[in-house]
Amino acid sequence: MTEQLYTVASDSETTGEDKSQMSFPDVAIGIDIGTSNCSVAVWTGHQVDLLKNTRNQKGMRSYVMFKDDSLSAGVTGGATREHGHEERDILSGSAIFNMKRLIGRMDTDEVVQASKSLPFLVQTLGIGVRPFIAALVNNMWRSTTPEEVLAIFLLELKALVEMHLKHPVRNAVLTIPVAFSRFQQTRIERACAMAGLHVLRLMPEPTAIALLYAQQQQQLLHDNMGSGIEKIALIFNMGAGYCDAAVAATAGGVSQIRALSGSTVGGEDILQNVMRHLMPDFDSLYAGQTMDRIKSIGLLRMATQDAIHKLATQEHVEINVDLGGGHKVSKILDRGEFEKVNQSIFEKCEGIIKQCLADAKLTPEDINDVILVGGCSRIPKIRSVVLGLCKKDDSYSGIDPLEAAVSGAALEGAIASGVSDPSGSLDLLTIQATPMNLGIRADGGNFAAIIPRNTAVPARRDMLFTTTHDNQTEALIAVYEGEGNQAEDNHLLGYFKITGIPAAAKGTVEINVCMDIDAGNVLRVFAGVVKPQGQAVPPFIEVRMPTLDDGHGWCGQALAKMYGSTLDVATIPKKLHP
Amino acid sequence: MVGFFSLCSSTHYYHLQLRNGSVQYELIRPIKYRPRSIIRCCSTTRGKAREDYYQVLGVTVNSTPQEIKEAYRKLQKRHHPDIAGYKGHDYTLLLNEAYKVLMRNSPRNAGASGRGFGRGFTGNGYSCWNGPVRSHALFVDENKCIGCRECVHHAGETFAMDDVLGSAHVEVQFGDQEQKIQVAVESCPVNCIHWVMSEELAVLEFLARPQQKEAHGVFGGGWERPRDVFAAANNFTKRLQREEQQDMARQQRYNNGDACEKGETERQAEARHRAGQELRWKRLRDVWNGLRDWTKPGVDGP
Repeated sequence: MTEQLYTVASDSETTGEDKSQMSFPDVAIGIDIGTSNCSVAVWTGHQVDLLKNTRNQKGMRSYVMFKDDSLSAGVTGGATREHGHEERDILSGSAIFNMKRLIGRMDTDEVVQASKSLPFLVQTLGIGVRPFIAALVNNMWRSTTPEEVLAIFLLELKALVEMHLKHPVRNAVLTIPVAFSRFQQTRIERACAMAGLHVLRLMPEPTAIALLYAQQQQQLLHDNMGSGIEKIALIFNMGAGYCDAAVAATAGGVSQIRALSGSTVGGEDILQNVMRHLMPDFDSLYAGQTMDRIKSIGLLRMATQDAIHKLATQEHVEINVDLGGGHKVSKILDRGEFEKVNQSIFEKCEGIIKQCLADAKLTPEDINDVILVGGCSRIPKIRSVVLGLCKKDDSYSGIDPLEAAVSGAALEGAIASGVSDPSGSLDLLTIQATPMNLGIRADGGNFAAIIPRNTAVPARRDMLFTTTHDNQTEALIAVYEGEGNQAEDNHLLGYFKITGIPAAAKGTVEINVCMDIDAGNVLRVFAGVVKPQGQAVPPFIEVRMPTLDDGHGWCGQALAKMYGSTLDVATIPKKLHP
Repeated sequence: MVGFFSLCSSTHYYHLQLRNGSVQYELIRPIKYRPRSIIRCCSTTRGKAREDYYQVLGVTVNSTPQEIKEAYRKLQKRHHPDIAGYKGHDYTLLLNEAYKVLMRNSPRNAGASGRGFGRGFTGNGYSCWNGPVRSHALFVDENKCIGCRECVHHAGETFAMDDVLGSAHVEVQFGDQEQKIQVAVESCPVNCIHWVMSEELAVLEFLARPQQKEAHGVFGGGWERPRDVFAAANNFTKRLQREEQQDMARQQRYNNGDACEKGETERQAEARHRAGQELRWKRLRDVWNGLRDWTKPGVDGP
């Protein structure tokens, strides 16, 4: 990566104001890379500070601007400084954004398909490989990858932090959506590695907020305002790209995650729905990307975004925009219409919360506080849906909806780096839970969950499997993650073969598959033959998951085609429920 | 990824990998150094170590869910890998497991000590197991038993006669060879020896014991046992489940465990440590007992 090629959103020349903060050299910083906004925070010895860029913003737009060499030398501040111009530059086709929604996804993914209406180039072949992404530079598409874009962004962010702290930064805690698969998590890790950051933790966004909530409760206790009563909080986080919910039980500075659920639905979907509503022939009109179409989409996007923001406070909003090429939108959009257009999105949010409550085995009456965070939590309908489901009149007010996640990440960074605070404000702990079922393919195409979702981390579980054919000497262990009952409905994380199984009648050999997740959320799978025991049995295999690097879309199918059911394993019916 | 990992793999990672390798080590460690013991039974494979789980958390058997939660949180704060580093991994695994098992069972226990219903029911059966817990278990319907002693004669290690009640009961599950047990079952003139699912065993054995009747003054006291123990067991299980659900709901509502920061004494810490060790060993023992008689389909391992 030659750095001169790019200029980045948060790119910041040295500012005049120097805070000369006291910080510990080895404390991990907290980073919240959002789909649209990004922020960074650090523990400064007694509190969490959010860092500002040269434009004095705490929340920076996440995008990377690609410019020609000669041009990038002149303009160092990314896009133009005035806000209106910035937005227009982002949508000019030469900036890549929404990378959090694209990272680690196959081109068959519907989220990738939906991203085709973005001003930059997203090309798909529909065969389950990574999509081709390119930015417009001097009327030419220059290819890149989401990881690369994220790395460039993180590099700039790192530079910003180092400038503030005046020492090199190495470790970071990043927040991720609950819906991120383990494969996507490795992509984030890779991007960080490219930017020279070591990922100490990847924590789901709502759990970072739960940690902040635990700290506030602890603070109340110290001030003799609160009691030591266990408090149950429902955290609902909806940003531009993802929507997550969590139920956390908090007492004595320990927040225990009882349930997590999430989905890839967010402000971006709302925006696209409204755009399609305003321009019913949107898809046919913008089928291919030409310069004027990109410009026209950009104008529509900006107008729609503005309208949605206004609808948070107004009952109706007037949209008047000339898209060029004889297209014009002039319409009055009222809140009812807006809510009708996005009905399916609100229903999905409802589903997420219901599932979360059911998983935590709680009723709405058990919830003490409802915490609403993320940009979309300003939408009145979202608020009423969440509060209605939890039967509350108002949400918890002590948490800033846009800064909570990054503050929580910075807290976790300080805790995991081993910083202790004499005043006890770091005397905190999050007991994480697994957001998705983890298991292997067994009994044909079925999915046998070994670690069920919402198991406290660190976790270790094992399960016995057996062979499906007489004298079967090899067995394929295909590790999946997800909610589906069929293996193919879930994400394939990796696979390996157990060889040298002693020849025996089917169903007599016992294969133990053990999964281990440590506090850093690293998944290891151990597998081997435990019965019959003897010299002839091969050694156990330990595999760090995920092993797949790319193209996991067709890996499962290729395996099925190649081996059919010859290497299948079967679950041993559970006779006892421990 | 691998390259990146090895790049930043400090000694911590290295340790981690070493220790995690011990899963395998645990599973295939030779048994010959260990005596095969009769394992104290209960309805679950894990429950046999329930006392140990209580010790892991440093709580008493009579602890309320609140106390268990508090203890769990307190220990997590000391041993969680976020705080203690990677050396806390194994111990935290144990804590999580203990918490899960105890929290699942504790409402039942709390109900048992608190209200009249299901008093004294611990979820443990009365019979012992010889070898691993299997899917099926023997149960003598003591109402029907005529005290003929046939079963005791054929399989004396398994069955025992209760001379006070005048009926036989199972003392040790699978105490004799399969064949002998089969003969004993068939020899019963009134067919009162049943093969039951192991899950049901605890409830059945609990109900088959004479229960003290609630007395009203001098009247109505005494002991009774249900006439049809199987039907009673069905009802009992259903009621237990209902109570458990109610308890869960109630417990969530009135959670008033205050965060007291009591330091534990050295001896308590030591006891906890020992319990942890014991728990790990027991698990191995189960696996190995299972491996030894693998000719019989049995369940071992957790």
